[in-house]
Amino acid sequence: MWRGALVGLLALLAQPACAETDSPFSLQGFGTLGLARTSSDQVEFVRDLSQPSGIRKDWDGRADSVFGLQASWQISSQLTAVVQGNVRYHYDRSYDPQLAWAFLKYEPTPEWSLRLGRLGTEFFMMADSRWVGYSFLTVRPPGDYFWYLPFYSIHGGDAAYSVPLGDGLVRIKAFYGESNGRVPLADRQWDVEGSPMSGASLDYYRGGWHMRASYANIRASNDLPIAGVLQAYSPNPTASAAYLSTRNQRTDYYSLGVVYDQGPWQVQFMLNRIEQGNNALESSEGGYLLAGYRIRQVTPYLGYSWVHSRGNNHDGRPFIEQRIIADSHSDQTTSIVGARWDFASNLALKAQWDAIRGDASSIFPYRNEPASGRWSGRLDVYSVTLDFIF
Amino acid sequence: MPTRRLFLLGISFWLLAQPGAALRAELAVVVNARCGVAAMTRNEVINVFFGRSRQFFNSVEAQPVDMLDSHPDRARFYYKLLGKDLSEVNAYWSRQVFSGRSQPPVKVGNSEEVLKWVASHPGGIGFVEASRADARVRVVLELAN
Repeated sequence: MWRGALVGLLALLAQPACAETDSPFSLQGFGTLGLARTSSDQVEFVRDLSQPSGIRKDWDGRADSVFGLQASWQISSQLTAVVQGNVRYHYDRSYDPQLAWAFLKYEPTPEWSLRLGRLGTEFFMMADSRWVGYSFLTVRPPGDYFWYLPFYSIHGGDAAYSVPLGDGLVRIKAFYGESNGRVPLADRQWDVEGSPMSGASLDYYRGGWHMRASYANIRASNDLPIAGVLQAYSPNPTASAAYLSTRNQRTDYYSLGVVYDQGPWQVQFMLNRIEQGNNALESSEGGYLLAGYRIRQVTPYLGYSWVHSRGNNHDGRPFIEQRIIADSHSDQTTSIVGARWDFASNLALKAQWDAIRGDASSIFPYRNEPASGRWSGRLDVYSVTLDFIF
Repeated sequence: MPTRRLFLLGISFWLLAQPGAALRAELAVVVNARCGVAAMTRNEVINVFFGRSRQFFNSVEAQPVDMLDSHPDRARFYYKLLGKDLSEVNAYWSRQVFSGRSQPPVKVGNSEEVLKWVASHPGGIGFVEASRADARVRVVLELAN
């Protein structure tokens, strides 16, 4: 139903000329053609945990390629309707078009902005523009920071209030809604549809500086899709299912970020902490530091990111439970070297090398890891992308 | 002697390497003469032109007007304001637009249209070469070379 509505709306909105300044309609788009390969066939590299399979030693376009189209209709000076659809590789191994956003935005005063509908969530800074490659410096958002965030949108509402502070600006935002996603796990999917999500953030902007602190949570509506495995391998499937239950358990997401974007410099420093309220998934901490310096059309950059998870004490639990918990373990760092070349208006070419170095047990960020749950922990990822907007 | 020639050569290259902007006139940020704003700081202008703030300090709603990429004043403005290249400004707006947060300001093609927009909107704010600012508008910030 969503898809039909999307196609109909886009067809309707596609008729007026694009981006006319005096038209209440606008049609804009973005996209990335990306190719990447890794140095190992032991595990499959994914952009984030919403992808069911990833890339190996052969050049592959599935991780980073995307095409998005957005229509907006300025209904009145205070009311806007926005619809965005995109095509990319997603949880069910298809490239079917998806409705990313569909919402009404109401701005009763210059301070307030209220939105209602299917919205992007900003669990972390920039999390709601993760697929707009043209908008950021790197080939993809640093994985150690964003892998754990397979959620993109909610059905709900948000409210933002902006107020000047000195000659800077403070923005407070809160959201509430229900998740509408699924997360692929092994050959199954974790249904998180209907899981309530809420959160709030505080931003401060001044000149080239932007600082942000945020909190968000999700209360999962379902257990992990592990009933079959427990039935087959657990000495007491009912007890194991109860121990590893995620239903109605809350996961908390905390983040801090600082961005400096002035003159030739672009610097980002972000930290996050994810606390799992269940036994099945390990809590984690991650972060990254990224710095780029523009020299005319080319911006070389260097980055360093990390993620470490820690489990509760599960001593004495059955082997199968410990194995399932170990599947959510991560302990690795990534060094990033790359360059962005803005060779033409609204077009950018990027090349990047990610050097991932981790513990043999760091398997959560990958797909199709070895049955032993161990791997070399060393992975180099080579990527090139062409990003565009129109 | 060769040292001096080398020096002069170096200087010429350096000058050629500078954005053309540095050799030209000042840019002025102008507002509607009746909006009640007399001066703005650089950071306040950044807030308005990057869509962070939609009002002036006196609560009048700000209605910014930008210029098309093809007009040289646009590149000069963002370079002088924040040291940013147009590709970076456009990248910034792609994040705002495609996250569903906000749309960029209206764009016009020449300075006369900027002045007309600013004069005809109560909260109008734009940028023109300083020498073009006339009685319809008030200069709130000059961006020196």
